[in-house]
Amino acid sequence: MDSNEWIKKLGDIAEAFKSFSESNVDITFLEERFVGKRGELTLLLRELGSFKPEEKKLLGAKGNELKNKIVSFCESKKNLFSGFKEYHYDIDITLPSKKYNQSNLHPITITLNRIIDIFQKLGFSIEWGPLVEEDYYNFEALNFSPDHPARDMQDTFYLDLKDDKNKNYLLRTHTSPVQIRSMLKYKPPLRIISPGKVFRSEAIDSTHSFVFNQIEGFYVDKNVSMADLKWTLESFMKDFFGSSAKIRFSPSYFPFVEPGAQAEVSCVFCGGTDKSCRVCHGSGWIEMLGAGVMHPNVLKNCGYDPNEFSGFAFGAGIERFAMLLLGIDDLRVLYENDLRVLRQIF
Amino acid sequence: MRVLYSWLCDYLDEKLDFKTVTSNLSRIGFSIDDVKIIGADVDDVYVAEVLSVKKHPNADRLSLCEVSDGKKIYNVVCGAPNVRAEQKVPFAVVGARLGNEVLKKAKIRGVESEGMICSESELGLADKSDGIMVLDDKLELGKSIKELFPPDYSFELEITPNLGYCLSHYSLARELSIFYGYKLKEFKPSKLSTPTGRFDIEIKTDDCLRYQGIVIKNIKNKTTPTYIYDRLKKIGLNPKNNMLIDVSNYLMFELGQPTHFFDLRNISEKIVVRKAFKDEKIKTLDGKDNALDENIMVIADSKKPLAVAGVMGGYFSSINDDTSDILVEIAHFVPAAVRRSSKILGIKTDSSYRYERGVDVKLSELAASRICEIIKTTNQDSEIYSITDVKNYEEKEDIIDIDHSRINRILGTAISDEKMDEVLRRLDGLYDGHSFHIPSYRADIKSIWDISEEVARYIGYDVIESKTSMPVLKSKDDPFYELKKNISSKFSVFGFNECVNYDLVCEDEIKKLGYDINGVLKLSNPLSKEFEYLRPSILLSLLKNLRYNSNRGIKSTKIYEYGSVFGIAEKKPVEKRVLSAILSGSIDETIWWKKQTEEIDFFYTKSVVEYLLSNFSGIRYTQGCKEKFMVSDMSADIWLGDKKIGFYGLLNPDISDMFDLKSEKIFYFEVLLEEFVKKYSLDFASLVKKPKKVSDLQYGIRDLSILVDKKYRYEDIYRVVSKAEDLIEVTLIDFYDGKNIPEDKKSFTFRFVFSSESKTFTDEELNIKIEEILKKLENSFGARLR
Repeated sequence: MDSNEWIKKLGDIAEAFKSFSESNVDITFLEERFVGKRGELTLLLRELGSFKPEEKKLLGAKGNELKNKIVSFCESKKNLFSGFKEYHYDIDITLPSKKYNQSNLHPITITLNRIIDIFQKLGFSIEWGPLVEEDYYNFEALNFSPDHPARDMQDTFYLDLKDDKNKNYLLRTHTSPVQIRSMLKYKPPLRIISPGKVFRSEAIDSTHSFVFNQIEGFYVDKNVSMADLKWTLESFMKDFFGSSAKIRFSPSYFPFVEPGAQAEVSCVFCGGTDKSCRVCHGSGWIEMLGAGVMHPNVLKNCGYDPNEFSGFAFGAGIERFAMLLLGIDDLRVLYENDLRVLRQIF
Repeated sequence: MRVLYSWLCDYLDEKLDFKTVTSNLSRIGFSIDDVKIIGADVDDVYVAEVLSVKKHPNADRLSLCEVSDGKKIYNVVCGAPNVRAEQKVPFAVVGARLGNEVLKKAKIRGVESEGMICSESELGLADKSDGIMVLDDKLELGKSIKELFPPDYSFELEITPNLGYCLSHYSLARELSIFYGYKLKEFKPSKLSTPTGRFDIEIKTDDCLRYQGIVIKNIKNKTTPTYIYDRLKKIGLNPKNNMLIDVSNYLMFELGQPTHFFDLRNISEKIVVRKAFKDEKIKTLDGKDNALDENIMVIADSKKPLAVAGVMGGYFSSINDDTSDILVEIAHFVPAAVRRSSKILGIKTDSSYRYERGVDVKLSELAASRICEIIKTTNQDSEIYSITDVKNYEEKEDIIDIDHSRINRILGTAISDEKMDEVLRRLDGLYDGHSFHIPSYRADIKSIWDISEEVARYIGYDVIESKTSMPVLKSKDDPFYELKKNISSKFSVFGFNECVNYDLVCEDEIKKLGYDINGVLKLSNPLSKEFEYLRPSILLSLLKNLRYNSNRGIKSTKIYEYGSVFGIAEKKPVEKRVLSAILSGSIDETIWWKKQTEEIDFFYTKSVVEYLLSNFSGIRYTQGCKEKFMVSDMSADIWLGDKKIGFYGLLNPDISDMFDLKSEKIFYFEVLLEEFVKKYSLDFASLVKKPKKVSDLQYGIRDLSILVDKKYRYEDIYRVVSKAEDLIEVTLIDFYDGKNIPEDKKSFTFRFVFSSESKTFTDEELNIKIEEILKKLENSFGARLR
């Protein structure tokens, strides 16, 4: 190899290194390829041994220049991080942070929203009804005939007001009038929930109030059965209380359903194993809902043929769910609106 | 209804234990409450005689007694003051069970006692007792106390209105026999002999379906038979030990048939069942004088009303101590008619309760023979003088065609026809698999839906499985629900809490706010004055919440409520959904060491309101709200388009005193939600605001301080300065109207931000822009640079 050939080779290596260094090639690979023990440049410099001293000096300087360039390039890439300076402050970070007011929805709303969201997943849409109702929607159309003792099941507040048609107004005693209003307004299939306040003329104690919240649910279509009702309620309870929740029906009576049922949910708090369970008292079941197959008279009152359409309906008190969620035994706590309590939830 | 276990079991052939009875009843729709154990709940307690009584050597109040049960003599320590020799007493030997406890051998003040002489309460025969129980002398020694006072149970049974046919012991036993197949004992009172006398009864109203009147004469022994007296007492009634009163009650709880006994002396000629005449009066058994009218059915004689039909007897025709001749009424009325009378007069009785729920019209004969049987048993000399039975109803057979597959479709089950027929056959002896004859006592069964319930009750509701073939339906989003969620999430930015209050408020508080009480909805039957009116504003409730919380040391009250407010328009009720909020005290509850706590003021309130409503376009505010309870200067009306939809600002400080509040600075906000609900779009895409492009080039920023006359308002000036080319932001960074500037002037300092997508501005260009703005301000307001 003469000096020209040597210089050309050095040029090739420089070119190759240049293109490699601009690409994202691994640094260890670069090092080994060019300046490692068997690297191209290392081998080329070794060739200098056979050259004359003047040539050796001249070419060696050029070769080493490239070698240093490559080595320092590789080093620089390897050492991006060379350590931080230390900074010191005299601060006690255990001093308290700013405490913002804990903002919450009311527990009844929290509970209700959860219930609504679950039923929306099951295809139920929301309808709202007035709190001041007419006897027809609250009772008569729901198969409470005017002189039926079933009316005694719901102590009613009446309004001191008569309009020109001598119509009597009352505060709705349940959310069920929305069944009638919706069936008159829409065509089946109907799958509706209707939450809201209801009123009963009952003295206030730890489990009773003259104002409370209910949620109504109903489904009208062809071939709706009591099994559909049980499935719907069980799906809801599993979402609300956890997947182990089960529903149990037992006979009950509401004039607007037949057969009528009371639905109990299995006690998810003790599993029915604790005799002293504060919720189920060891029975394993908690009363949660009234339900049933829509009474044919209700369907007829809304202009539906009970031989063509069928439906189910259910109703539940929201406060009961809220009390179970919060673990409180006294319903009145919910209506005190004590900020010291409200700010703790969530 | 209160039920006595042993009484109920009397009608069944099988001996059922108490647990079986209650669990069977609850499975078919009766709920059980308030179980009471009656009788001696003990083992190994016997009748014994006290042989001698000596003083205890170590205690003044204790005695040492020798007691014999006929086999052995026991030495017993007794603490009762009434223990005497020769008494017969209940005696518990060591090892006896008394309720939940077992008697152990004990040393009392150094003397061993080999048993215990018991009190009534220790035996479970009374709630309280002082001293030991002293028994009848004639009792045989060694007789078991448990046999003497057999244990029994009484319980409250909740019977829903549809199960009104079960309001007696016999009918409950019948229900158990139908649903569980127990054999019902035949209830067969002795046959009546045909009487010779005659008594006229006339029915003059369709509301009376049947009236059977039996005249019985010469009743001398009026002592109530012991078993009747006992049973009535055990179900919590108050027997009078006058058979003519007690038997009527007994029959009602035995068979479910209300009856009424009249003293024959007080009946003039005959019985007439009719509607009362206007202005007629009757004094009822409870001593009350009642004005009657044509809506009330009465039992009358030829002259006067004797009783309110089905509800209560009259005072003057009732049974007396010297009554010996009676008329027994066994009647059937239309349920609604009895209910109307009872409602109008405000009288509820066990009788009206049963009639309202329907009494089996075919029960009449059975009831008649049973009454005569009871009376005859203790009065052999009495005479059944006459029996008059007037029927005013059509005998008809109601039939339901049984479609088994329909029942399965209603229940969502796969029950076999045979299984269904089992219960139908027990209900109707004539049932042939197709035609079901409704039993006369089951007025509640009308359709295949009712039959489905009977089938489910029979097989057990667990037969209904949780399974479905419901099709998937899409749930519609609800604007009101979504709107509330949106607004609530904005409230939480400011640390608000939601409240839920009663909708009923009291008159005084409404008046305090300046409302005309005639425009407020009132209840005709309120629970109390405190909850008499439907709230015309949520403010009333929130003020209460504010007071409650500030009295408990809360310093930062920021609360809101969604609810309805009520009023009257054109004699009709009006109901609107609104949102209200109250703000008072400091912005934060907790003091922070780093920064002083700020008080809530008008501009904090304004910030909250504007942020809450920032989703809606077309919102305007005008200063000076007209509500009586607001301070006009420091308040504003809120408009959506050209509709006034709410207001906010400072509440009149007088409210603080009126409502007993601590702070005088209370801010209030109210907005009608109905309008928002209409405007609230559920189209998600349209809810998302499309952002304007932002420039990558450097902004040009300039501040400008001006002085203007005090009469000009910020809003007017802002309107002028906010319009300029490339101006993307104007911010008021300082406002001043104090010292060092002329008295009639105020100073505004604005910061202007200019931006363009195509260039950065030079100083000169920015200066020109500011000059232009200043010139406009000079022209419009005579403003000067400060």
